[in-house]
Amino acid sequence: MEEKHLPKRKDFTKKARLFLTVVLVISSFSFSLAQTVTGVVTASDTKETLPGATIMVKGTTIGAVTNIDGKYSITVQSGKAVLVFSYVGYTTKEITVGKQTVIDVSLDSKKTNLDEVVVIAYGTVRKSDLSGSVGTIKTDDITKITALNPVQSLQGQVSGVQVTSISGTPGDNPMVRIRGTGTIWGADPIYVVDGVILNDISFINSSDIQSMEILKDASATAMYGSRGANGVILVTTKSGNKNDEKTVFNFSGEIGIQKLAKKIKLLNGHDFAVISNEIAPGTYNNVDAVNNTDWQSLIFHTAPIYDIQLSASGSGKKNQYFISGSYFKQGGIIDKSNYQRITLKFNNTYALSKYVELGTNINLAPFSQQIAPDVTWAAYRAKPTIEPYYSDGSFAAVEGVGNPLAALEYSNNYRKGIRGVGNIYGSVNFLKSFTVKSSYGIDAGYTKAESFTPKYAVLNSDGTTSQQNNPLSDLSKSWEDNLNWLWETTLSYQHTFGKHFVDAVVGYTMQDAKSETMNTEGKNLIRDGRDFWYIQPIYIYDPTQNVNTISSFKNEIGDYYSMISYLIRINYTFNQKYILTGTFRRDGSSKFNEKNRYGNFPSVALGWNISREKFMKPAKVISKLKIRTSWGQVGNDKIPYLGQYSTVESLITVLGTTPIPISAGSYGVNGNNDLKWETTTQFDAGLEAGLFNDRLSAEFDYYRRVTNDILIYLSTPGHLGNGPGSLVPFNAGSVLNRGFEFNVAWRDQVGKVKYNVSIIGSTLHNEMLSIGGVTGADSQILGGYLANGSFVTRTVVGIPLGSFYGYKTDGVYQTQAEINSSPHLSDAVPGDLRFVDMNGDGKINGKDRTNIGSPIPTFMLGLNLGLEVYGIDFSVSTQGQWGNKIFNAKNAVRPDPYNFEQNVMNRWTGPGTSYTEPRASFGGNNYLPSDYFVQDGSFIRIRNVTLGYTLPLKWSTKIAMQKLRIYVKADNLYTFAKYTGYSPEIGSSNVTSNGVDYGIYPVTSVYSVGLNLTF
Amino acid sequence: MKTITKVLLLGSALFILCLTPGCKKFLDKPPQGEMTNTSFPTTASDALLATNATYATLREWYYHTGGYPILDIMSDDARKGSNPSDQLANVGPYDNFTINPTQDGLDRWWTELYVGVKRCNVVTEKVPLISMDVALQTRYIAEARFVRGLIYFDFVRAWGGVPLVTTLEPPLRLARASKEEIFNQVISDLTFAAENLPERSEYASKDYGRATKGAANAFLARVYLFRNDFVNAEKYALAVISSGQYSLEPVFTDANGAKGASGPEAVFEVCALPYDGTENGGDQYGNTQGVRGTPNRGWGFNRPTIDLRESFEAGDPRYKGTVINLGDTLDGVVILGDGSTPDITKDSTGKIIEIECYSRKVWTPGSNTATQWGHMRRLMRYADVLLMAAEALNENGKPAEALTYVNMVRARARQGIPGILPDITTTGQAELRDKIFNERRHELAMEGWRFWDLVRTGRAGAVMGPLGFIVGKHELLPIPQSEIDNSEGTLVQNPNW
Repeated sequence: MEEKHLPKRKDFTKKARLFLTVVLVISSFSFSLAQTVTGVVTASDTKETLPGATIMVKGTTIGAVTNIDGKYSITVQSGKAVLVFSYVGYTTKEITVGKQTVIDVSLDSKKTNLDEVVVIAYGTVRKSDLSGSVGTIKTDDITKITALNPVQSLQGQVSGVQVTSISGTPGDNPMVRIRGTGTIWGADPIYVVDGVILNDISFINSSDIQSMEILKDASATAMYGSRGANGVILVTTKSGNKNDEKTVFNFSGEIGIQKLAKKIKLLNGHDFAVISNEIAPGTYNNVDAVNNTDWQSLIFHTAPIYDIQLSASGSGKKNQYFISGSYFKQGGIIDKSNYQRITLKFNNTYALSKYVELGTNINLAPFSQQIAPDVTWAAYRAKPTIEPYYSDGSFAAVEGVGNPLAALEYSNNYRKGIRGVGNIYGSVNFLKSFTVKSSYGIDAGYTKAESFTPKYAVLNSDGTTSQQNNPLSDLSKSWEDNLNWLWETTLSYQHTFGKHFVDAVVGYTMQDAKSETMNTEGKNLIRDGRDFWYIQPIYIYDPTQNVNTISSFKNEIGDYYSMISYLIRINYTFNQKYILTGTFRRDGSSKFNEKNRYGNFPSVALGWNISREKFMKPAKVISKLKIRTSWGQVGNDKIPYLGQYSTVESLITVLGTTPIPISAGSYGVNGNNDLKWETTTQFDAGLEAGLFNDRLSAEFDYYRRVTNDILIYLSTPGHLGNGPGSLVPFNAGSVLNRGFEFNVAWRDQVGKVKYNVSIIGSTLHNEMLSIGGVTGADSQILGGYLANGSFVTRTVVGIPLGSFYGYKTDGVYQTQAEINSSPHLSDAVPGDLRFVDMNGDGKINGKDRTNIGSPIPTFMLGLNLGLEVYGIDFSVSTQGQWGNKIFNAKNAVRPDPYNFEQNVMNRWTGPGTSYTEPRASFGGNNYLPSDYFVQDGSFIRIRNVTLGYTLPLKWSTKIAMQKLRIYVKADNLYTFAKYTGYSPEIGSSNVTSNGVDYGIYPVTSVYSVGLNLTF
Repeated sequence: MKTITKVLLLGSALFILCLTPGCKKFLDKPPQGEMTNTSFPTTASDALLATNATYATLREWYYHTGGYPILDIMSDDARKGSNPSDQLANVGPYDNFTINPTQDGLDRWWTELYVGVKRCNVVTEKVPLISMDVALQTRYIAEARFVRGLIYFDFVRAWGGVPLVTTLEPPLRLARASKEEIFNQVISDLTFAAENLPERSEYASKDYGRATKGAANAFLARVYLFRNDFVNAEKYALAVISSGQYSLEPVFTDANGAKGASGPEAVFEVCALPYDGTENGGDQYGNTQGVRGTPNRGWGFNRPTIDLRESFEAGDPRYKGTVINLGDTLDGVVILGDGSTPDITKDSTGKIIEIECYSRKVWTPGSNTATQWGHMRRLMRYADVLLMAAEALNENGKPAEALTYVNMVRARARQGIPGILPDITTTGQAELRDKIFNERRHELAMEGWRFWDLVRTGRAGAVMGPLGFIVGKHELLPIPQSEIDNSEGTLVQNPNW
């Protein structure tokens, strides 16, 4: 048995060994009362022994490490000595030696720790003292899904949170909604990474995250004042463990293959020819001899995905550190699309003295991306009867949509940049209960994009140029830089007086953000190669304009604002039973005019730990029972900084007997200097319960959020001179979101089998409560514009935001007599959709359009299973949503002969042939926006299946590993959905286009193998 | 403990730093790279920019009656044009008076005119506050009032009384002023302009296109004609004529064509550059009406009717100067026309009701669309001034003088061809009135005046009744429904709409 001073070093030099020996000899002589303690350290859950566990004598540097059988031996100087047992992932235990000579210790896994600490705004709180509604997801679940953006891991894991992919384009961020859609503009939550307030977290590697806390109710979010209204996601990154005096290395590596989850069923060449002949007889002479091109197969292929992370963490006498690097690369299932990112992370704390601590959390993330042109819609529409290439190998022209392969060939669109996010802080603890902490954080980014299109022409078969024709090569470049700094100083106070516990924090923060863009474009480059992608100010002749143009150049401001805030929170707990939390934040923002500059955001919450009452003692089955309720007001300031200003518009006037352009300037569209933030008032009531010794845990919440003063762009009376189509922002609407959330989990162990089942769910009622009141015409918000100019969403009072709008259909006209006998469009023919005369005026016209479905799910569910036995771990996550609809917009515009989805094969071809599918047509009445294009968006998805194996410790330690786990997994394994598109996940960054499927880059299925090592 | 002291000192220093008044400024983030209305116009050069901006409105597509030339389309001179289905629902209803208050284009025209009003009000309200050369200051204000007068004149003809805005901060809800009030504003603005603007020859050539005394007088004449105030109409028309600043182009097609741009006949003209895009200096007015198909000059709206084609006197060269037929060669370009437009359209009885043809008045040399954007629209031609003078003089019982002016126009139209378009000699007031009116139709066809000439002379019902015109209703356009809605009912619709 060895005894030594820690940290242990394998490369002890002879000098060190000598020194050690001397010290040991001296110490054993000096303290003759020394006694030796031995024992075995085991894990309480698995009962396995824990080799490599650390045993320290408290307050000294004397320590020992368990051997391969979990045994240890240590010499202490007296019975008063306290031994500190620690092991990665387990709760540290302290035991006073006394007279014992054998101390066997069983350590509890941290995962089963009941009274865990929850990260909240500007602090932490014991879960039992928490009176707000906060969802938590820990590192194991965060890393389960292979994704660029860690927020993807929340899908189906936290109740009340909806994460929907906007597209499968490598590098794209998903749409995130917490407790519904609270506004039209900027309904995404904010993120707070180690105290720095941000708009997205795509720069963090999932493996670097310790936990994510989703702040849902006003009590939790009000501390973020004018920015918290759409929820707050707190991200805590990993830090060095105080007990890891050895450096702990972690490696995780994963390689996967991405596949198109599902192809859309389109017509083959033969069927398309048949349908075309039906619409325009004689289009194809011999439908059996036409070509059959499957354009989808031509543009989609499998693509790899890699995610590798290596970290080192631990602690020294005065410092703790976590250092990691990672590499993520996602190939695109469409050529010329991919994303790669490196992350570097340095989290350090350094104790200047017992009371003063300094720390840093630094993230650097360079990335590069290639973006493919939007060819999914072209592949969807391109006629299958066209061969992709002519016999000479050149690209064939594809009428109406362009040849998707040519579009890919000539596209060169790159983006790269770096994001740096981090903070340094210092904290001083004084008078025991007080801590002052000041943190200065930055979020700095730099992005460069360049896109080059060579001179090219895809020719029609007769040799004329087709729509894919670029007579001059062109290169555009853009740069963007941004710097956002945040300085926060807080004073916190924690004190227990008898049964009273007070935890208070006051703070003062300042923030400043600025971003700037620069765009330039040049044409007619001297060579096509990348070495020549630079722009010079030379005049070139532009035949499309019939003029000489010069390289264009533009430089503009992006984000530009500053904030000053004051905040306070008091958390008072009496006898660990009664909890009162009050928070208040006052925000001043440069985005608002002086009269509206400051806003106040209060909240209160009450909690009651019923299970700690005496009268609950007999109810032994109930291990935990808490009820809580909260009320508060939170804001949303995501409005353009210029909104309040009326700015001067630059114009061109032409004058002179030889006319030349001369400068002019006048007042442009009016700003609105009454603008202010949106205010969300939220009520929440929740219940938390633990039964059967917390094997069953459950949490229920009801919430009601009303957002007032939401920002809406309204048209104004013409006489104000804002011009045709100009919209001015007003605080002119309110939205209701309410629902129930539940989270029930069962975890238990039967013999060697550990298992857990959890189900999370939420209902959502979303409703526009009011719109306008400023200008009368604006009782509606239109959106979801299609390529033909029609709109398919219309938000009015009483229905969900972004509801679909169009005609209701009632089958298909079978005969002319049937048409004549009912209200109909003047040019309706048999086989057309029968539109319903909603207003009963005997006519079918625009006034009959109505609400035909909502894109917002009314129920969301997540179901997760986990199983562990003999080192094998198996887990399944499923996720589902119901009640939402999808507008299949890609199918709803067909001005020219585009390919059809297969449902056209069931079309009406004569009386009695179909009562649901109209006759085949290109354009015309059947393409008016109607519920014919609205499909059920409900789905259940097997989100993730993982099978892993962890080598038993006694084997892994033989190869110097504390942990070795290998696994295989599948993400998005299968989706049960009625929707005919690639994926029923149709998100949008624009609330008024949500659920409108324009033909997106599909979300993929990922199959991967991975390895986790801890050593 | 020393560390603590240091840290605390440092911390409190920073904290105090920020509680000082300097922090207030921290929240001031003025717009970057853009001026706000509060800081413009404040200098003499700002005043020039603001004045220049008033003319920019006149090149906006929407300024031209909302985009499409609906005035001629409503009249008996033109049909919708383009191919049969193009803009059928949007523009088609103007052709047969089946429009309604939500008709496409009405709101665009209305709102764009108010953009113009705002730009003028910037000058009239802000430029007087700038300390600068007084003569120049007065001229700028007069230029802006001229443009504002033009705009309110459009308003009052199209809709009658409208909200009258002459300041930069009108109330959110503003009722319609009366027709009289609008006319008074127009007359006041144009009179101020006439009194304070230089004559055309007093401007430098680089300033060509700015409002002039002559232009203001000419528009005053037109305004008074609409008011049936022939004394004043005569006075202002003669003032233009006697100024000696203007004369007729020798060649009729140059009166609207490229050669006559900035020529002696152009009393007020909207300068434009042959570039695609209003922001590049182009004007889509010509492109909207330009030859459709081959050569591709434009969209082909505003097609001369059979009635107009056949109304020209025998041999009148102005027929060719007004109508482009398929097969014509202009400036070396052969007109082949549009494949999707029938060359000839017949009704069910076999009668020809439409022939594919285009307006010659917007033709510019060239074969692409960009050059068509360079058409310079004449908002006032000297020929019109002469005809207005003739009309007013006849009404004022001075037929001899009237004949002089109307025959000047006919003489030019004759182009030296013997035996056509003989001088008018009648001195009977009613007969001469009709002759002058007819002369107006042929001289000014497709230039947007016919509809209003018919309305102001009370002939609308007789001439356009067969097309669907209802007397007592169609003299005015309906107030755009979106404006009535936006006003929350403050605006009241015109009668019978």
